[in-house]
Amino acid sequence: MFKRPQLGEWILRGVVAVALMLATVAEAADTNQVPKPSADLENLTLEQLVNVQVTSVSKKETDLFASPAAIAVITQDDIQRNGFTSIPDALRMVPGIDVAQVNGSEWAVSSRGFNNQFADKLLVLVDGRSVYTPGFSGVVWELQDMVMEDLDRIEVIRGPGAALWGDNAVNGVINIITKSAKDTQGGLVSTSFGSDEQSITSLRYGGQLSTNLFYRLYLKYESEDGFANSAGNRMPDGWDALQGGARFDWEPNPNDRFTLQGDYLAAYIGGTAQVPLLAAPYMTNISMVNAKSDGNVVGRWTHDFSPSSQLTLQMYYDHAVKPDVQIPSTLDVYDFDLQHRFALGERQDIIWGAGLRDSENDSPPSFNLTFYPQRSYTQIYSVFAQDDATVVPERFHVILGTKLDHNTYTGFEIQPSGRLLWTPSEKQTVWMAVSRAVSTPSQVYEASRYNQSAFPAGGVPGLVSLFGNPNFKSEQLLAYEAGYRFEPARSWSFDLTAYYNVYHGLQAYQMGAPYFEPTPVPHLVFPETAENLVSGETYGAEISAQWKPLDYWRVAASYSWLHMRLGPINPTSASAGDSPQNQFQIRSYLDLCHNVDFSSAVSYVESLPNQNVASYVRLDLGLNWRVNQSWDIGVFGQNLLQNSHVEFGSYRTPQLTEIPRSVYAKITYKF
Amino acid sequence: MQISPQMQKPASRSGVRRMLAGLAFVAVLLCGEGLVAADAPVASEAQVKAVFLYNFTKYVDWPTEAFARTNSPLLIGVLGDGTISEELKKVIVDKTVNGRKIMIQETGKEEDWPKCQIIFISSAEKARLPAILAKIKTLPILTVGEAGGFLEQGGIINFTKKDDRIRLEIGLEAARLAKVQISSQLLSVADTVKGKSN
Repeated sequence: MFKRPQLGEWILRGVVAVALMLATVAEAADTNQVPKPSADLENLTLEQLVNVQVTSVSKKETDLFASPAAIAVITQDDIQRNGFTSIPDALRMVPGIDVAQVNGSEWAVSSRGFNNQFADKLLVLVDGRSVYTPGFSGVVWELQDMVMEDLDRIEVIRGPGAALWGDNAVNGVINIITKSAKDTQGGLVSTSFGSDEQSITSLRYGGQLSTNLFYRLYLKYESEDGFANSAGNRMPDGWDALQGGARFDWEPNPNDRFTLQGDYLAAYIGGTAQVPLLAAPYMTNISMVNAKSDGNVVGRWTHDFSPSSQLTLQMYYDHAVKPDVQIPSTLDVYDFDLQHRFALGERQDIIWGAGLRDSENDSPPSFNLTFYPQRSYTQIYSVFAQDDATVVPERFHVILGTKLDHNTYTGFEIQPSGRLLWTPSEKQTVWMAVSRAVSTPSQVYEASRYNQSAFPAGGVPGLVSLFGNPNFKSEQLLAYEAGYRFEPARSWSFDLTAYYNVYHGLQAYQMGAPYFEPTPVPHLVFPETAENLVSGETYGAEISAQWKPLDYWRVAASYSWLHMRLGPINPTSASAGDSPQNQFQIRSYLDLCHNVDFSSAVSYVESLPNQNVASYVRLDLGLNWRVNQSWDIGVFGQNLLQNSHVEFGSYRTPQLTEIPRSVYAKITYKF
Repeated sequence: MQISPQMQKPASRSGVRRMLAGLAFVAVLLCGEGLVAADAPVASEAQVKAVFLYNFTKYVDWPTEAFARTNSPLLIGVLGDGTISEELKKVIVDKTVNGRKIMIQETGKEEDWPKCQIIFISSAEKARLPAILAKIKTLPILTVGEAGGFLEQGGIINFTKKDDRIRLEIGLEAARLAKVQISSQLLSVADTVKGKSN
């Protein structure tokens, strides 16, 4: 495969050629439409003023600065400059978040440890819709795809957000927010192509149906080849996906806003799995191509009773079909949420709400996995309330909140949280928090049998089977956090967060006495049962700093440190060696002349002993050229320092996939 | 066993150097040619809106009765947005239009509003918008807003955002009611002009 490096060079040559062509065309075109550079905004003509690009993060920046939580925001500007093509890619930017690419289509993402493809301590929402899979826990990242240009921002909160956000927000919440239809008017065509036959094409059109009714329609096609494994063989983990959707935003009067949105994604995802057999060779590799799909509809209504009282009602339906050799599932989720935010007197800001989620999962039994029952119906009913009390105006706030919910497996759970916020000056924020959070068990830990591996056991086949346990309780966390933010000048700021998490009842499999099973073929079962075995603590810190030495140059650096102490030793599930102890990154964003920007990122991720993954250093580069109001060209390179490296192992197969160096170009046309 | 093609490839460093050289070449190319200019400057929303408010003083004519005397200052009032007010203060320093100084009028008290020639009503005042406009729309005041439906409720100029850029919508009916004249140059850069008639 000498193709890869050569393709990168051809892409560069192609882009240079296209750039030269566009340059000659653009110079010949009417330059009157395009304003000349000017230092002073006041001296611009009206024509130039309507073309000034505004940074829309300003208001949110003040909100973020005074937030009593470890929050980071990935903006659309960050996504464009770095050329991120997927959500997990973008999440790498945030300290405290572990992002590891398993293979061509699968990712392991978690917050503050416990990384896994079934990371169950992280809540992920897309426009208010949870994309967490209750059957097996975790997020199927390959089904969370969107037109990256239509993302408004991604809010990442590390630490328990259970009081406000809900179950499974144990170590973090990722809130993915798309732009309103009003902000994505007009057409956009974007295509990118690169090494590993990676190609993405998106089409979007936004229009206006009446004065206050805006819509957006989109179509996206993505395809990628599989990556190679350590022996250099290309794995069949490539994929093809087609996705489409629409969004309508209606504001009939200043006090009401309605949104209706929906998407449908259909993908062919390849993979290999190693499955057990009750006869020699006992383990066999299967290549599979699964047709997975996800369709959803979300409706939301926000009503302002007054400037200090707002009600939001949201409902959604999500239908996900995931055939799979190891973990098949068809999942239907119906969700209803109500939230009311109001000011009580001069000093209190109250949010309260209620919600109901009904999940119906159908996992057809196979030799690998059986769910009891095959079709399960689980409900979660919840209420929550939070009071933000101003003790000393502009200086000291106390925030108390709690969530109470009832779920099918473990009954009532309560998740209280208390925070202090002290802003000694406009330039500093100090906050502290104590919270309790729980992770509700998924069906696989409650009522299932998963046949994991087989081997010869002295005359008969031996089968390792993992069993769910109806007495399995929620995993619990008591988290102590503190943070400090300092912005001495407009040109630099600094954010430090530290935490100490105490865990009880973390899941691990307990080995039981082997027993004989006559069917289908006489064999010996080595059972392991899910138990709340593991306790312990994790502690760590996340530091991030931003520095803007020049108007056109910004540098961002971050460091995360995580230390895990869990016991008893060698649990097969909650393992300290799945997340890196140290991660460091430094990013530079440079605005070159004439609408060209250059970004670079160097990241260091420490080794994962439990995954046999060595530490690695990544170098990512990006060059964006805004040709004119309609055309944008970008060239990006990822993992440039090595041919390839491994980031994480797979639960499906012991073979490790190498994540390769990749180069790709992107062309965008707006009309 | 297949020999890994990666083992046969020369050291990866040269590949990276070539990529960097290629990128540098493209960057120099784009910058050196003094191309497409297209240097759309970047600023905050508040800064751009403040500069627009200043520009409106140059491209709008008020009836003579709007001012107490021929040399009275032109007053701009900002309702509900401290950031725009701050930015506006910086923009209007030492500026004059038609021999008049430009100044900010405090809008804490409702009785001060009729003194202004321009009033900007921020989206924070959305709930009070109908009440505010009802009081001032027959006065010779250029009303500027940033909320959906502003023109429908009787406002004259509305800020909208398209593609991360601030755009204008202008309602001529409301301008006629307030007896302010909007110059054709300002009308020509607006995305939407309602109530056009000859």
